[in-house]
Amino acid sequence: MIFTSILLVLLALLGAPLFAIIGAGALLGYQQAGVDLTAVPIEIFGIAETPILLAIPLFTFAGYVLSESQAAARLVRLSSALLGWLPGGLAMVAVATCSLFTAFTGGSGVTIIAIGALLYPALVQAGYGERFTLGLVTSSGSLGLLFAPSLPLIIYGIIAEVPIDSLFVAGVVPGVLMMIALAAFCLWRNRENRRPISEFSWPEVGAALRAAIWELPLPIVVLGGIYSGFFAVSEAAAVTVIYVLITELLIYREVPWRRLPSIIRNSMVLVGGILLILGISLASTNYMIDAQVPQKLIGVVTHYISSQTSFLLLLIAFLMLIGCILHIYSALVLIVPLILPVASRYGVDPVHLGIIFVATMELGYLLPPIGLNLYISSFRFRRPVLEVCMATLPFMLILLVAVFLIAFIPALSLALLPN
Amino acid sequence: MSPTDADDQLTGTGSDTGTGAANQVARGGLIERVSRWIETALLTAILLAMIGLASAQVLLRGSVGGSLAWADETLRLLVLWAAMIGAVAASRDNVHLRIDFLSRFLSPGNRRVAAVVVNLFAAGISAILAWQSLRFVNGSREFDDQVLGDWPAWPFQVVLPIAFMLIAYRYIHDIWRQFHGGTPSSGDHEA
Repeated sequence: MIFTSILLVLLALLGAPLFAIIGAGALLGYQQAGVDLTAVPIEIFGIAETPILLAIPLFTFAGYVLSESQAAARLVRLSSALLGWLPGGLAMVAVATCSLFTAFTGGSGVTIIAIGALLYPALVQAGYGERFTLGLVTSSGSLGLLFAPSLPLIIYGIIAEVPIDSLFVAGVVPGVLMMIALAAFCLWRNRENRRPISEFSWPEVGAALRAAIWELPLPIVVLGGIYSGFFAVSEAAAVTVIYVLITELLIYREVPWRRLPSIIRNSMVLVGGILLILGISLASTNYMIDAQVPQKLIGVVTHYISSQTSFLLLLIAFLMLIGCILHIYSALVLIVPLILPVASRYGVDPVHLGIIFVATMELGYLLPPIGLNLYISSFRFRRPVLEVCMATLPFMLILLVAVFLIAFIPALSLALLPN
Repeated sequence: MSPTDADDQLTGTGSDTGTGAANQVARGGLIERVSRWIETALLTAILLAMIGLASAQVLLRGSVGGSLAWADETLRLLVLWAAMIGAVAASRDNVHLRIDFLSRFLSPGNRRVAAVVVNLFAAGISAILAWQSLRFVNGSREFDDQVLGDWPAWPFQVVLPIAFMLIAYRYIHDIWRQFHGGTPSSGDHEA
């Protein structure tokens, strides 16, 4: 058993697709437990019995269409018009627009490509240091995963069997905290450079508003609908897709119809990859629960760790380490079923755990050696990865402080929830 | 460069083997091109059906307060189909989630060996999953399992064995291509 586990880890590290690794684990586990192996496809068929999953292809596709349009440019223009006159305003523009865009398009790094590429030259022109700019743009690209309609929160909700709207509500204050932490750091670092990029101008605000007039209602309708409980999550997803298709294909006409099949293919390839490991991990999780793996883990952990504080410290360190090597979706399906029972033993609320998990994994995007955003940024801005790492480091430390606050003050996540 | 183009390139972050959907199309023959086209067409049809049905549900619920009784189950089955066909397409485009941490430390020769081992493993597991899925579908036929009221369930479930078979084929095909002049496509993808 130990030998096969080591073999599977080795194969994973050599680049075997994770669905095959998890699938092999589930098949071997059932085989040893004497369970008929059709249990595995039956669990995968469970994809068709989980209503909330509908939100995943719809939101993913809408995000892909949005990132093909000029929505990012309009968003940057509008927020520059509104905030650019403040000292340090452009840095705040970067933080705010990146968060909003990431919430809608997922943390695939597309934010760095779509928004970072617009902000980078503007920030440098406004007198921000190149290295500071590089770090800011790279780290902002992973903000926003705590806001609706974030895909990682939806997937956490499915795995942990926690209501997804509770997660969205719980993510608001921690998400805003991370934004404020970054924005405050930007102001402090640039306290010498207080030159605003532009005068406040009503005509420019008006023009930027007019340009974005068709897209502006989208976050209001979707976020308002979800946070107020007016829409179920999958209904909000359907509304988002229709809205995005009408604005980008019919009104702005920036995404040509003939691009549609290839956008659909690209988005569904991602969805297929995520749902396949999700489906297979349903099977492996069932096996692990049968084999009492979480109980054994609880036994080991409680032997060494007595307090909730030390558990949370260990959890954050562990998740950051995981964030170095696993993509957030893989980490969710593999790790959450294991740590959920352990965390509840230490009195950590499952909703709070979800927020800690996603917030810490946001840092994983920035961690050397394989944090995805480091590579995307290095690729997009044509800088060596090492330079991007060094530039991002101070921002990552600030976010780490925010993660500690989120972990050790549960009220930040839970206060807004009913009861 | 549009974001999605960049995205495509980025799925092979730091790749020196230069595999991407576009290259694979160029390299593949007629069968490859046709089957890729079929995947895209199916995914497009399924997603558009999903969007139409899901928004019809929202409209109905908002206007008359009711909804189509069969729509929710149909939507869930469409999600399964989109996921499985998407997974087949992900194998072709070589963008399945993976870790791949060690191979960058290997020499080119050893990297080739590792790629063969990894692809054989993935093909084997996919083949077993295909076989077990086939048994699952056969069982469902025997027991007359039903979906959507009184429709037999198996034609909806059959996507599982077919998809896993195609995924297994893809990894075998990758090995074959590796020995016939192609570069190993198991590359530097981040998990």
